Amino acid sequence: MQVPLSWYLIVAAALFCIGLYGALSRRNAIGILMGVELMLNSVNINLLAFWRHIEVARGTLTGQVFAIIVITVAAAEAAVGLALIISAYRHRKTVDVEDMDLMKL
Amino acid sequence: MTEFFFNLTWLIPLFPLASFAIIVLWTNRNRLLSTWIAWIGIGLAWILGWAILFLAWGHSSELTPPTHGYPVPLYSIPTGTTELQLGFQVDTLTGLMLFMVPFVCLMIFIYSKGYMNYGRENVDPRYSRFFAYISLFACGMLGLVISDNFVTLLIFWEVMGLCSYLLIGFWFDKSYSDPKRITPKQAGLKAFLTTRIGDVIMLAGMLLLYSQVKTLTFREIFSEETLHHLATTYAFPGMPWATLCAILIFGGAVGKSAQFPLHVWLPDAMEGPTPVSALIHAATMVSAGVYLVARSFPLFVAVEGGVQLAVVAFIGAFTALFSSTIAVAQNDIKRVLAYSTVSQLGYMIAALGIGAYVAAVFHLITHAFFKALLFLGSGSVIHGVEHGHHETHHGSHGHEFDANDMMNMGGLLQRMPVTGWTFIIGALALTGIFPWAGFWSKDEILADAWNAFQHGGHFGVSSGWAFFVWLFLTLAAFLTAFYTGRQIFLTFAGTPRTEAARHAPESVPSMTWPLIILAGFATFLGLFGTPWANQFYQLIGQKAEVLGEHLPHGEFNPLVAGISTVVALSGWFIAWLIYGREPLTNPVDPLEKRLGRLYIWLKNKWYFDELYMNYIVHPSVRLAQACFAFDDKLVIDPLVDAFGRFGRWLSEWLKDAVDIPIVDGIVNGVGSVTAKFGEFMRATQTGKVQNYLLVAAVTVLLLLVLFVVRA
Amino acid sequence: MEQLLTFITFVPLLGALLILLIPKEEERTIKNLSVGISFIPLLLSIYLWFAYDKAASGFQFEVMARWIPAINVNYHVGADGLSIPLIFLTALLTTLSLIYSSFTITRRVKEFFLLFLLLEMGMFGVFVSLDLVLFYVFWEIGLVPMYLLIGIWGQPKDRPQYSAIKFFLYTLAGSVCMLLAILGLYFYHGTFDIVKLSQELGPGKPLGPVFGGVSWLAIAAFWAFFVAFAIKVPLWPFHTWLPDAHTAAPTAGSVILAGILLKLGGFGMMRIALPIFPEQFWMYTWRVPIIPVLALLSIVYGALVCMAQWDLKRLIAYSSVSHMGYFMLGVAATAAAWGQANLRDAAAMASNGAAMQMFNHGIITGGLFFLVGVIYERAHTRDLQDFGGLSKVTPYYYGIFMVTALASLGLPGLAGFWAEFFVFRGAFEIIPWFAAIGVLGIVFTAAYILWKIIQYVFLGDFDAHKWEKVTHGAKLTDMFAFEKVTMWPLVLFMIGFGIFPTPLVDFFNTFAQALLGG
Repeated sequence: MQVPLSWYLIVAAALFCIGLYGALSRRNAIGILMGVELMLNSVNINLLAFWRHIEVARGTLTGQVFAIIVITVAAAEAAVGLALIISAYRHRKTVDVEDMDLMKL
Repeated sequence: MTEFFFNLTWLIPLFPLASFAIIVLWTNRNRLLSTWIAWIGIGLAWILGWAILFLAWGHSSELTPPTHGYPVPLYSIPTGTTELQLGFQVDTLTGLMLFMVPFVCLMIFIYSKGYMNYGRENVDPRYSRFFAYISLFACGMLGLVISDNFVTLLIFWEVMGLCSYLLIGFWFDKSYSDPKRITPKQAGLKAFLTTRIGDVIMLAGMLLLYSQVKTLTFREIFSEETLHHLATTYAFPGMPWATLCAILIFGGAVGKSAQFPLHVWLPDAMEGPTPVSALIHAATMVSAGVYLVARSFPLFVAVEGGVQLAVVAFIGAFTALFSSTIAVAQNDIKRVLAYSTVSQLGYMIAALGIGAYVAAVFHLITHAFFKALLFLGSGSVIHGVEHGHHETHHGSHGHEFDANDMMNMGGLLQRMPVTGWTFIIGALALTGIFPWAGFWSKDEILADAWNAFQHGGHFGVSSGWAFFVWLFLTLAAFLTAFYTGRQIFLTFAGTPRTEAARHAPESVPSMTWPLIILAGFATFLGLFGTPWANQFYQLIGQKAEVLGEHLPHGEFNPLVAGISTVVALSGWFIAWLIYGREPLTNPVDPLEKRLGRLYIWLKNKWYFDELYMNYIVHPSVRLAQACFAFDDKLVIDPLVDAFGRFGRWLSEWLKDAVDIPIVDGIVNGVGSVTAKFGEFMRATQTGKVQNYLLVAAVTVLLLLVLFVVRA
Repeated sequence: MEQLLTFITFVPLLGALLILLIPKEEERTIKNLSVGISFIPLLLSIYLWFAYDKAASGFQFEVMARWIPAINVNYHVGADGLSIPLIFLTALLTTLSLIYSSFTITRRVKEFFLLFLLLEMGMFGVFVSLDLVLFYVFWEIGLVPMYLLIGIWGQPKDRPQYSAIKFFLYTLAGSVCMLLAILGLYFYHGTFDIVKLSQELGPGKPLGPVFGGVSWLAIAAFWAFFVAFAIKVPLWPFHTWLPDAHTAAPTAGSVILAGILLKLGGFGMMRIALPIFPEQFWMYTWRVPIIPVLALLSIVYGALVCMAQWDLKRLIAYSSVSHMGYFMLGVAATAAAWGQANLRDAAAMASNGAAMQMFNHGIITGGLFFLVGVIYERAHTRDLQDFGGLSKVTPYYYGIFMVTALASLGLPGLAGFWAEFFVFRGAFEIIPWFAAIGVLGIVFTAAYILWKIIQYVFLGDFDAHKWEKVTHGAKLTDMFAFEKVTMWPLVLFMIGFGIFPTPLVDFFNTFAQALLGG
């Protein structure tokens, strides 16, 4: 018996909302980064679910390929994001985003 | 053989032209060489000219003007679909002119060597240039007489005009202490401009003629059909083309032959060297005007009894009398001759005006010889007196001595016998004393006029007109004898009135020989035109076929000959009474006392110079100044500048009134509105990433809602 | 040699580019090179003179290439009996001017010679163009170098900037009118081709009547062209730029200005205004005789104004107004004979005379400006009252000046005569009353030349003290070799075409035949 597609989608949506909430509400930059990661992963779940339910019958791999690209990008993003946060911390001794408003002059 | 020579006609003017070019370009520094080149040039022209004359004489029946000439074409100029043919020709009239012109020119050329003081310390600094100019001059006259059309004629005509300008103004650096006395440079200008007025009138006539008949070649214009066409088509009502063109062309002759009212230049032209006066005022240039009328005579008689002949006759007769009155009161030996020339030219013109074509040409030829003789003789006298002056006043230049003034002469016959006797021969010829040349030619004119009066004139000339001409010319003959006698007695008779005259030497042989030769011609030339064997009539008179009737033959009329002889002798006699019986000792003219104010009037030449100066020259100059002021200061240029200034003012105004407040205002307004809006929008920029993200999320959510609702 | 005209036109441009590459210190090289370059078009134009087949007449050496196909603009050049003598004149005067300038220009040499060659290209371009746009482009190209020549190398005391701007703006004002008319022709007839327009316009012809028979448009376009050309000619009352420009310009500039640039206007009259608008031209010469009146005013008034001048150069500038008046009278006579078959030869003679007047005026007045330059280089004054008696000290100069001055007053036997003769010959048959007034100008011309120029400058006694005072001790020498070299070709042409004008008239006659043939 197969798990129906909607279940996957509900899980993914929930995960996305958690990630979005985290990204919007956390004041710690690392927390925001983690929220973003959650949102990316929820997308991965969607991709794979659609692959399983639509593409297997056709014999193509587009969903999987996209998921792998997203994981790669997420890894890169995490690396760059963390590096930036560390750099910001070194300069300002804080990772609180409320204090980081240099874009506004 | 004949044709061979005729085909060389074009060489005649080319010889002196070549002399001119060679002297100007290369031999200017070598005086002797220049003299010889000029002599050779005119000499060759003379030989060829006489060769052609004698050949033409032999064929005179085939070469009668106006339609029977031997054409020597040169080249043609395209004029639309047609062509203008230029060229030379040989006919008997040309032949006659070729008899006179190169020979007289040669005499004058030879004379010039001595006159311009070759080989002495006071040789003229522009000696070679003089010979170049007179060579060019000879080229002009020779080319003129062999032209077979009006254009070539006009070209040579103007070449002569140029040369007369250059030669009259030859001593252009001369100035006189008397500011009223005309200087050579002014005289040259006056001559050129005065004749130019005539030339322009003539040009207009020529061009109108050309428009009507589409050709300028004499042979074609003077054919019967063409003349008939010209006489029967009208420029204005009552004015056939032939009449109009003839009168206009006559304008050129009036200018060149110094007829009233364009006579003023000729006496002043005496400022030039004397050989020039002989060249211009006797042999060549002034007779060109008469030649022109003689050449286009068929045109003048194309309309029977037309006004053109009356104009010609009146101007000629009036000029003859009028200028001889002036000659009576002149003291300058050359000026007397100049007025005499004007007067004699008046004779010829008047003769043409009553149809006495042959007589006019005859007088033209004889006059050229004896007037050249008189001018050269007067030059010799002046030259002698100048030398005498130099001898007696070594180096003293304080007082201006006028060697031309007859009052400074007297008793020169002893000092200069050759000059004196040849001068007297010339004077006898001029006054028409039997048997000298002037008697025959002048008598023929008077006889023709008398015959026209008695029997009615040819070509519709009225007898009253003819009488008027005869009367005027006879009166002029009296005055001619009087002023010539006066000149002789003042110059040669009595005792010298100045030291200069007392020491005047006889001239050098190169000056006296031409005088002797010319005196020979002045004596014997008339025999070719006696009423019993008139060679001139043989040569040029037979133009009946075109002119429709026989020309006046010049019958001998003892009555006329008697009257004119009596008149001339009485002129001489009165001159002797006043000047010869008691030779003058002091330089006051006895005539002055007797004539009173009339004398002053005559001495001032009827005040024509003043008249022209005040009413033509000065107004022209003032008009010129007014035009320039109009152009530069008052209207045209100020308008252009005003336009420019208006443009600048307009741009200033646009800048202040339109550009800055409105155009620039709009641009600036757009800028400031944008800036205000930016200020407002600036508030939304918190700089916090989470805010932006929230906005993005909400937007996506809203879009989602929209999507769902729409679906 | 198919591209002969292209070569003639653009060789000067090539020369200008070459000069651009030479450092400006190498003045001798620049001068020699530009003189050398200018000989190429001169030789080519001589070849052109002899290679043109007069029997065949019409346009020869034609080149047609597409230039801006979108609006049907072509590079269309060709030469006929009217343009060939003028091309030769341009080449000759430019070469002589460059020779003369290479001895007299010392300031900003590189720019001077560069601009001069550019100017030459512009002038050639106008004479060879058979396309209105091309014509207009070359017309304007010539303007800029001359503006700079006057403005930069002018005599400071003669207000060169004022004169240059006046010259430029005046001409530009005219050419703006011309541009509008050119566009109008294009919108109505769809072509810029001069040959096509002049041959195929007219009732019953392929392009139909000009401006489709809308008469006010045709009249406006005619006047637009006419004013543009009349300013350049210059015709009274559009002439006041001329004396200023001439007075201020350097000698060679004056020569080209008088010798060629004025001819551009005349050339335009005969190449464009006459063939394209014969009916309008006829209307304003015959029905409403405005143009002959302007021509007469130019002749007589111009001559009178000359008589009132004391500045030698300004006098000669005004004499150009008078002399080009004869040209205009000839053109007017040609135009007035439109449609009258019995006046065809008279019209041909008037047209020949007008064209000859252009050529001869170029040679004669060009020569006169050189001669003024000769005395100005020595005395640094042009006031007639400062001179006197020069013929004693400088006989060679006197001789050359005399020939040129006499040619200018139209003495028969010198070149100027034939032009006047034929102009008046045509005019006396077609518009006799105007011709009768016009001949008065001949007398005034003689008066100002002999009285004002010859008598004041050359005659009288030479006063060495006065000379020293007015020239601050300048040395008075007779003509130098380079000045003689400059003048002799012109003098030879004056005498040569005076005695034997047929070779020149042959060219103009083919043009007149073609013009009046249709």
